[in-house]
Amino acid sequence: MNRATSVVSLVVLASLGMGATYLVQHTSAARIAAEQRLIDSRQLLDLLPPDSYDNQPLEHPLSLESTRLANSTLLGGYLASKAGQPSAVLLRIQTLGYAGAIDLLIAIDPQGKLVGVKTLKQSETPGLGGKLAEWPNTWLQVFTGKSLTEPGDNGWALKKDQGQFDQIAGATITSRAVINATHDALRYFDEHRQPLIGSSAHE
Amino acid sequence: MNKSSTLQNSLMLTPLIGVTDSLVTALGLWLMFALVLSAYGVSMGVLRSRLIPATHLLACLLLAATLTSCAELATQAWSLQWHQHLGFYAGLIALQCVVLEHNGFFQSPRRDRLRLCGLFGALMVGLGLLRELIGNGTLASHLSWMAGATQPDWQGWTLIADGGLHLATLAPGGFILLGLLIAAHQAWTRRPAAPH
Repeated sequence: MNRATSVVSLVVLASLGMGATYLVQHTSAARIAAEQRLIDSRQLLDLLPPDSYDNQPLEHPLSLESTRLANSTLLGGYLASKAGQPSAVLLRIQTLGYAGAIDLLIAIDPQGKLVGVKTLKQSETPGLGGKLAEWPNTWLQVFTGKSLTEPGDNGWALKKDQGQFDQIAGATITSRAVINATHDALRYFDEHRQPLIGSSAHE
Repeated sequence: MNKSSTLQNSLMLTPLIGVTDSLVTALGLWLMFALVLSAYGVSMGVLRSRLIPATHLLACLLLAATLTSCAELATQAWSLQWHQHLGFYAGLIALQCVVLEHNGFFQSPRRDRLRLCGLFGALMVGLGLLRELIGNGTLASHLSWMAGATQPDWQGWTLIADGGLHLATLAPGGFILLGLLIAAHQAWTRRPAAPH
């Protein structure tokens, strides 16, 4: 037990420590990254019921034809499927709100009914239109189960525009933009049912 | 209570408040704590006789950092969500090792060491259970994370349907609950001596 052996032991300990940490990091990095991707996609896709799909929708982007819609822009789309059968189409739509662009993720099932609407990005007034970003969101939940025919074309508007939807208090422009974008998504789905899910059957 | 035992206790208090918002995180941190501490105790027992006292601190730092990093990486690979909920508190285990070493914890009798670990574990698990039950109204939710990343998530038993008192899951709620527990403990231990 002298100074020299102590220093040697310390150096050995340090290199062993670094080596072990590097080895563990090296072997687990890929697994951790894969796990992180899974968690991210689950968080993004929590508007779908967890048992309604078994593929990785984000790795199945759809090739979309016309991206300019009546009131909004279609940015992309993904297909969620279960056991090989399409279970939902996810459309990423951008529209113009009160303060800037609003990005929405809209999930539509093969029958054309809305599964859910989720806000991905917004810069609306905090406390008013900004409530759009809350998740779970009671106002956006109203759209679940609605479709292009239920309510009809005239119903897809705010009550103050003779439609049937309430608005977010104090955020008429934001609410109108979201409703129009959702309506756009449903219309787009209806017109492109064949290329999106490969079947044109209504119901 | 001397200065270094205050430091030791406050280092124990940090995870005791920080990660006991649910049972699974409390249990996870305690398991990591016990694992790292026993691995550290064994390795340091081997090393101590081969080192001059002046290098003990350096060796202790190296060993604690290595073991904690490896344990953290292993937990991430095992179940990332679990690790994410532990947050940075798992990293504090290394600091706890150093402070415990400084206090002579690893040279104390085995019974004392087990007692401290057991007490810490009982407090962690107890507080975790209570805070989860009061704060979320659930019991043992996400316990499936402990079984690995591939298991489907399990929401636990829901005892209070409307969600409970959210305050209990926050740090102030943890302090209040711990204070109440200490008060109850003191009332209990002093009761036989009190005159009727």
